[in-house]
Amino acid sequence: MTIVAAFLFPGLPHPMLKPEIAPWGRLAGAARSAAASLDAYAPDTLVMYSTQWIAVLDQLWQTRPHVSGVHIDENWYEWGDLPFDIRIDSGLAKACIAGSETIGVRSRPVDYDGFPIDTGTIVAQHFLNQTQGRPLVVTSNNLYHDWALTEQLGGLVRDVALKENKKVAVVGVGGLSARMFRAPIDPAEDRFADPADDEANRTILDLLVEGDAEGLRAAAGRIGAALPVDSGLKHLAFITGALGGHIGGAHIHGYEPVYGTGAAVVEIRG
Amino acid sequence: MAQGEILAGYLAPHPPHLVYAENPPQNEPKSEGGWEQLRWAYERARKTLDDLKPDVLLVHSPHWTTHVGHHFLGVKQLSGKSVDPIFPNLFRYDFQLEVDVELAEACCDTAASMGLVTKMMRNPNFRVDYGTITTLHMIRPQWDIPIVGISANNSPYYLNTKEGLGEMDILGKATRKAIEATGRRAVLLASNTLCHYHFHTEPEIPEDMSREHPQNYPGYKWDMRIIEMLRRGETRKVFDILPQFIEEAFAEVKSGAFTWMFAAMGYPEIPGELHGYGTVIGTGNAVMEWNLARQAVHAAAVNA
Repeated sequence: MTIVAAFLFPGLPHPMLKPEIAPWGRLAGAARSAAASLDAYAPDTLVMYSTQWIAVLDQLWQTRPHVSGVHIDENWYEWGDLPFDIRIDSGLAKACIAGSETIGVRSRPVDYDGFPIDTGTIVAQHFLNQTQGRPLVVTSNNLYHDWALTEQLGGLVRDVALKENKKVAVVGVGGLSARMFRAPIDPAEDRFADPADDEANRTILDLLVEGDAEGLRAAAGRIGAALPVDSGLKHLAFITGALGGHIGGAHIHGYEPVYGTGAAVVEIRG
Repeated sequence: MAQGEILAGYLAPHPPHLVYAENPPQNEPKSEGGWEQLRWAYERARKTLDDLKPDVLLVHSPHWTTHVGHHFLGVKQLSGKSVDPIFPNLFRYDFQLEVDVELAEACCDTAASMGLVTKMMRNPNFRVDYGTITTLHMIRPQWDIPIVGISANNSPYYLNTKEGLGEMDILGKATRKAIEATGRRAVLLASNTLCHYHFHTEPEIPEDMSREHPQNYPGYKWDMRIIEMLRRGETRKVFDILPQFIEEAFAEVKSGAFTWMFAAMGYPEIPGELHGYGTVIGTGNAVMEWNLARQAVHAAAVNA
């Protein structure tokens, strides 16, 4: 089995920057619980697809062997800086780049000093990989890729990991409902921006728990057309693709609002 | 203190390709040139800006996207390395700039008093977005004029075009009040492309101009129609059809800078001066100027 674990992980920085706020602190706790589960799978590499790394030309893959620095979120800068220190599995990333033509996608390596690592990747790395320091493969969210193509991208990672004989955990970094409060709120009173968002999020989570990949595909399209969701929930497509199009169930480590949006830490079985 | 004034507004798009093509010392990647029509347009704009001798440049950039309100750079000195996340092969720029914090705070407070959600950005480690930097470099590469950087609240995309641009209209009017109250002689920079349809792959040599042309003909025709109207000073007509232009040409003016600038200037029905037009990976870019200072001198002469 090349894909040993899969996780849905929220990419907003609130649990990292303000864990003292109750719902965000509960998410931080859920993240630590997920990290413990992840460690038990002992993957060689974590492959992250982050909705906040936006691409419009080609599919981008981080290939710089070591990226480190301090990132400032363009929205939540007042709550502090986001330091990061990430090792990259350049070999696996380059193998994915080489293989992407098989799914009709042109890929490019990103190997530049000072490249802006996105908030979601940094937050996921902080919670899931801080102690073990496993190498990552990080890839982008091409805005012009749909659910089906993103599933193929996840499938590509699965195939390449098999070929390279790597034990890989995939992480889809992103949120659920994306309706955010438009004015400052008292963080202690954070809640879902609309009850319909909570309902839609629970539909998605139930389908994950039930292991209904087909239902998830249909629901993502339906819900994405009805209300704002994070990037069409394509980070879930990346996960289902990596799992070979099937879901064997899921464990929800945590589900909370983050400034009105839906955020869940979910361990998904293949 | 004399009342401040807006001297001019420029439509000043921000393709990082232009900085790459110019090979300034601040930018790490080096090129063989390219996009000369647009770079020469900026050269003309630089000369008119130089004549105006403004105290401050205000720039509204779509690549500082904010969700909760309209934000303003609020740290006097900002520096760092800005790497374009989309075109890291072209733009890795060491920037150093000075912010007119007093004016930024006045804009922020005035906009809040007019009903907008606003915030000052006070984190000294903040990395300024590449849209702001590209526009500022292209219009004033000397970096010797303080700036005010304004984020693009995502309301036109998150709510709808009408509501979102309604917020940008208020933001522009607040900006004008703040400029007048602080006595600044200001120039506004709307960092927007026109038609924003683009190619999805890049040539092996990015500056290979044999590969550069409008991504589609309807988008090009839209750009020419809008530019013609702006050159004739038909501002009201432009804003009447702006939602249709945005919809059909996927125009980046949706993000608000263009509306913000015109609202601040009072939607003047004066001919805009086209310094030049060109495409970048197929998108339509115009460098244009509305020189209110020159217009005022002309009006005074006519009335004398």
